[in-house]
Amino acid sequence: MSILEVRGLQYSYENKKRVLRGINAKMEHGKMYAILGPSGCGKTTLLSLLGGLDSPSSGQILYQGEDIVKTGLADHRRSHVAFIFQNYNLIDYLTPMENVALTAKQPPLPILEQLGLTAEEAKRNVLKLSGGQQQRVAIARALASDAQVILADEPTGNLDEDTAAEITSILKKSAHKSGKCVVIVTHSNELAKEADVIFQLRKGELQIAGSSNINSRN
Amino acid sequence: MLKRAFFYTTRKKGKMLILLLTLFVISTFVLTGLSILAAADQSALSLRQSVGGSIKLERDMDNSQNWTYQQGIGGVLVDYTGTPITDADIEKVMSVKGIRDYNGIGFGSVFATDFSFIPGISFGQVRDYSALPSVSNSEYFNYFRRGAFKLVEGRHITPEDDHAVLISTALAERNGLKLGDTITVQCCYDAGGYPNVLLKIVGIYDVTMDDGQFNTTSTDKRNRLIIDHNAMQEIMVHDVIQYDNGVEFFVDDPRDIDKIAAQIQKLDLDWSCFKLTVDNTAYEAVASSLTAMQNMVTGLIIGIVIVSIGILALILNMWIKQRTHETGILLAIGVSKVKIVTQYILETLMIAVIAFGLSYFSSGAIAQRACNLLFSQAAETQPVLEIETPDDGTEYLDITGQYIPYDTSNMVAPDSIEVHVTVEQLLWVYLLGIVLCTAAVTLASLPVVKMKPKNILSKMS
Repeated sequence: MSILEVRGLQYSYENKKRVLRGINAKMEHGKMYAILGPSGCGKTTLLSLLGGLDSPSSGQILYQGEDIVKTGLADHRRSHVAFIFQNYNLIDYLTPMENVALTAKQPPLPILEQLGLTAEEAKRNVLKLSGGQQQRVAIARALASDAQVILADEPTGNLDEDTAAEITSILKKSAHKSGKCVVIVTHSNELAKEADVIFQLRKGELQIAGSSNINSRN
Repeated sequence: MLKRAFFYTTRKKGKMLILLLTLFVISTFVLTGLSILAAADQSALSLRQSVGGSIKLERDMDNSQNWTYQQGIGGVLVDYTGTPITDADIEKVMSVKGIRDYNGIGFGSVFATDFSFIPGISFGQVRDYSALPSVSNSEYFNYFRRGAFKLVEGRHITPEDDHAVLISTALAERNGLKLGDTITVQCCYDAGGYPNVLLKIVGIYDVTMDDGQFNTTSTDKRNRLIIDHNAMQEIMVHDVIQYDNGVEFFVDDPRDIDKIAAQIQKLDLDWSCFKLTVDNTAYEAVASSLTAMQNMVTGLIIGIVIVSIGILALILNMWIKQRTHETGILLAIGVSKVKIVTQYILETLMIAVIAFGLSYFSSGAIAQRACNLLFSQAAETQPVLEIETPDDGTEYLDITGQYIPYDTSNMVAPDSIEVHVTVEQLLWVYLLGIVLCTAAVTLASLPVVKMKPKNILSKMS
């Protein structure tokens, strides 16, 4: 059974411009999905809708078969999904430990250490960390929440190549080893290639552009 | 939530210092204002109490049914036969809330047996006599209350006195009398056969009012013997104490005098024989200057509070808007709107608690100076108080029917008062401050938390 299902999803901006035109998709546990598409095609909007940051103009998003609008977007954000943003979106007056503790259902330090931060770094002001370290904190915050769906918006966009590869690997592990459903919006073909399923968003419509089977065949 | 609030307040030191200073200055102003207002109210109450106000219960002499007419030899004999005012009536009136004390007034006229009155204009060969009042408490007697007489030696007559008398300095000098001496008087009414009554001098007063130039012996205020009711009872050979000139009841606060008079009117008294007269002249004369001063102070306080609320709301509004991004992040990770707003409120209150506490000391230091400045300015603008003699003949307060003028020298609002910042006022500042801060933060937060988290985060990125 899919954990996340999108049915006939449409979305228009406040200026009435329609950006998503009847999207249908299913996403499952233990898989990493990548959504590719040109700038301004609505990738981030789709991710926001999946995460309950906004409500669709029409159509449904089902989490484990239930409409997230009906069960409550705030509850969906709190219980089912975790975000990783390109610009990290950490609370600037908190330490990495405290940032992770915002959502953590488990002690934050072991997760941070797993992601490569030292105990000393975990207690520093979050703004004193490098970009890569801040993104690790953001990932730790997502993983510590026990949310079954991780939604990542350009998670490697601000990072150098090596760090980007490490972050990609962490996300992939989250899907394959921890059984999470990871959905990544990206411009990066390199990152997309690591996904189990690649969606292409074009002219408001979502199409499967490839899968791990395709990748393995290639 | 509480932890986050604590982390914010302890780590955003610059912002919190600005907030602390702002709240400190505002609460100092408000607390200073409240303490001045309380002091002004107290001062106004003291002044009102000092000028006083009275309600007089007296026999209704205008009602013809209270008189009996009898044909006698050579004419009609007229006698007042209405119900007299009794001590039981006085007790009933004294039970009304807001009445402080009373003074019953009796009336008689006497010859001086072993001393002589200061002679006045004489109309024929008549032996000198003088009208004399008996009182329950001479301190409340009109002459003393209005400042026309001033006690210079001895003490006032009280309800416990028995055969005590107050005399004027002029009469004392004329007869070589001093405190502790005795004088003898006898009722001068036509019926005759009245006893000589011995009175002991317990006090000597000065007549400070301008008494005019054309007085008979009886109307000359220097001849006024003020005695107690026991003495009057013996002089007039009455069975019981009689309050011929009525009983004056003195109120705690003349501002409430009409309400109190209305309460008295509801009492079970023989209203066919009694009437009430309210004397609020002095209060009405000072009321305008008091009101002007209180209005000025109140206006100032309201102004301070409004400006303070405005500044506080502006600062908190700017402060919350600066935290839009943080709000978006917290919403995105599932923190509820209520918890986010509560966190912001808690942060403000943590600082407010400290600022309000500090303001207790700062306002204690500046309140007196601010008050002195305010009141000296207010005093400069006060008009000179004048209470004019009524020209319609309605106010005859002396027992001989003459008007007693007011000495207005003490009837001015003070130009300085003592100000104390109290714990109660501080608690008010805490209460108001907490309500205002909570309201200001909530109002400032509402537009931000109402935004969709997607819009907040996309704007920020």
